[in-house]
Amino acid sequence: MVTAALGVLLAITAAMAWQGVVPISPLRHLYLVPVAWAALRGGARAGGLLGLMAAFFQMPLVLPAIERAGLTGAAVEGLVSLALPPAVGVLAGLLRDESRARARRLEALIEIERCLAREAPLPLRLDAAAAVVCRGLNATQVGLLVGTSAEMPALGSAPPGATLTPGSAVAWSLSTGRSVRSPDLATDGRFTLAGSPAPAPRRGLILPMDAGAGPVGALALEWRGEVAAGTDAAAAEIALHLALGIENARLTLRQRRFAEELEDKVAAATRRLREIDQAKSEFLSVVSHELRTPLTALEGFAELLLTRAVPPERAARFLRHIHVEARRLGRIVAELLDLSRLEVGVAPDLKREPLELAAHVERQLELFAGVHPAHRFSWKAEGALPALRADRDALDRVLQNLLSNAVKYSPRGGEVRVAARAAADGLVELRVEDEGVGIPTTELPRIFDKYVRIANQETTSVRGLGLGLSLVRALVEAHGGRIDVESAPGKGSVFRVILPA
Amino acid sequence: MDLLTAPFEVDRRRRATPVVGALCVVGALMLGGVAGGQWLERQGGLGRELGLAVEGAAVHGGFIAQGLIITLAGRSAGAAIAVRMAGALLAAFLLGHLAPWGSLAFLLIPPLLVHECRGHPTLRRIGFLAPARPASLLVGFAVGTFLGGHLLITSSLTFGYAISVVTVAGYLSAVAYDVGANALSAEFLFRGALFSHWWRHWGFWGAAAVSTALTLVRYLLDPALPEAPEARAGAIVYLAALALGAAMLRAWSGSLVPGYLASVAFFAAYRALVVW
Repeated sequence: MVTAALGVLLAITAAMAWQGVVPISPLRHLYLVPVAWAALRGGARAGGLLGLMAAFFQMPLVLPAIERAGLTGAAVEGLVSLALPPAVGVLAGLLRDESRARARRLEALIEIERCLAREAPLPLRLDAAAAVVCRGLNATQVGLLVGTSAEMPALGSAPPGATLTPGSAVAWSLSTGRSVRSPDLATDGRFTLAGSPAPAPRRGLILPMDAGAGPVGALALEWRGEVAAGTDAAAAEIALHLALGIENARLTLRQRRFAEELEDKVAAATRRLREIDQAKSEFLSVVSHELRTPLTALEGFAELLLTRAVPPERAARFLRHIHVEARRLGRIVAELLDLSRLEVGVAPDLKREPLELAAHVERQLELFAGVHPAHRFSWKAEGALPALRADRDALDRVLQNLLSNAVKYSPRGGEVRVAARAAADGLVELRVEDEGVGIPTTELPRIFDKYVRIANQETTSVRGLGLGLSLVRALVEAHGGRIDVESAPGKGSVFRVILPA
Repeated sequence: MDLLTAPFEVDRRRRATPVVGALCVVGALMLGGVAGGQWLERQGGLGRELGLAVEGAAVHGGFIAQGLIITLAGRSAGAAIAVRMAGALLAAFLLGHLAPWGSLAFLLIPPLLVHECRGHPTLRRIGFLAPARPASLLVGFAVGTFLGGHLLITSSLTFGYAISVVTVAGYLSAVAYDVGANALSAEFLFRGALFSHWWRHWGFWGAAAVSTALTLVRYLLDPALPEAPEARAGAIVYLAALALGAAMLRAWSGSLVPGYLASVAFFAAYRALVVW
């Protein structure tokens, strides 16, 4: 480019010398063409250099004419024509440099936003943005650190081999949120540098990246040699956009994480709904079966009594069967009624009265021991127990359900231990412990849910609606108490009921 | 990347070095040398030759000494080098004044300076090293040749000055003086120590402007410059262009050598101009 422009300058000079009408040859205006061209192509340096060359090329033609004729109008015009090309070259070049710098800065800003919005891990996005900053600001090295603690390793992009050191200028800037400017790192007393000094200055600039809500990191830039005018302002603008981009990237990341969490929750809820739906279907089938069994027995024994002449002792036995099955039917209906109350969110109706827990437990154990002679039952009151204010029926049903479960899920000969003690804050703790099959840890959170029956090969024959524990929890909570369970497969279960005295 | 890795203390400032005092001492010695040389000059005979040599050695040795003081921050090693260089310059000047080809001794000064400074990596900071781009040597030589050639053409066309080498010995002696003293000391001080120092603080144009202005002052005060107004005006234009070009070459190449070559080439052309 320079060679071609110089050739044009020489040709113009040769034409002017041949024409011989210097210093005001009309050809002198042609100098502006290659000078302006050089300025537009290469900027102020090229324009200024070509302008200076144009002035130098004219000198041997203009100056002798001025020397011969004196300072005439033509001579002044000749002097102006000497000064014009360098002036035009520099000014046009400066304008071009400025517009080019603005365009490059704008491109860099767009590219930075594009880099930070990419679908990639944040460190990779920062690396790409740092490369754009490096090009956009003509920097030798760029460090892009995200984070505000100097002690913590900050996430970011740094030249190969360079890592953030505590006590460095960037660490200081990260912890204070202040900028650092150094016209030359080698002679700046604040820095302790190793190695031999470089022949050109090494400029350094650290800018906190702050989009208005406090610094999110720091942009560190190093240059070797001359730095173009306006670079500091451009760097500040880029730091602001980086801060905005990083904030946006973080928000997008957070939003994405939130959406993922929401999706997971919706999927879990859908899965739970499906389980409940399936459980209800199973429940209906179980309920039908549970109702049909006592009804069949009732129907059968009643028919026998009506249609045949049954001896009195057999009739009495049949009537006992009818009585047992009717009670069973009644219990099922009661549970279903309680369930329907729970379904609509109505708390069980309680009639609170002072009760002796020990007496209740002992009575229930006596009944269970009579019905289940294959199991062993034990009872222990640890210290004096305060009287409870509770609903008698509700307390009985809590005990019956817990003991019934303990018996159902324990092997023959297994021991069911019941214990109670006064707990702190006027509470009473009741424990029902068995030596049964236990409950897998993963199932424990669901054990008090409605319709839940834990699948287990050893207990497939155990009948039930999956409502007992759900009812127990509802009754205990209606008393202002709580229930929890500790269990492991093969290790039995311990149900702990806490009731206010 | 030093911003990330180098220890940083925000309140620490570089310790002030006794540079200004040392520069004043060297300035006083330069003035003393010039005054003593002039006194010797007035004695006539051999005293005149000795006086001229003392003046030249004081000025150029002083420039080199100031450059060393600024760069080496007043270290005693710099003083020792400065004394030896001043001694070598005095010897070269004496030889130049006493023998027709004696000035060729100036050609030994640049290698001597390189030899003396070899143990001081700090001097890399002022560009006292070979250029990273060998092409910059050609560019430097081309800049000096262009300016020198332009000076010859313009001044001969404008003022009718002759372009002539009166005696080969005289011409080569003058060129040797430029190689070993004039261009060397000017580049070492103005582009090396001063421009490099200010470039680190003020940026290129500020540093180039001030170092160029000081170069012009140095040459306008030089009694060897013709006193004709047109010669002085021309000197301002060409020396300013030369100094600015040398600063650009120093910044572009990172070395003093291209600018030094430009100066040598320019003065080699200038020595062929007969100004009356």
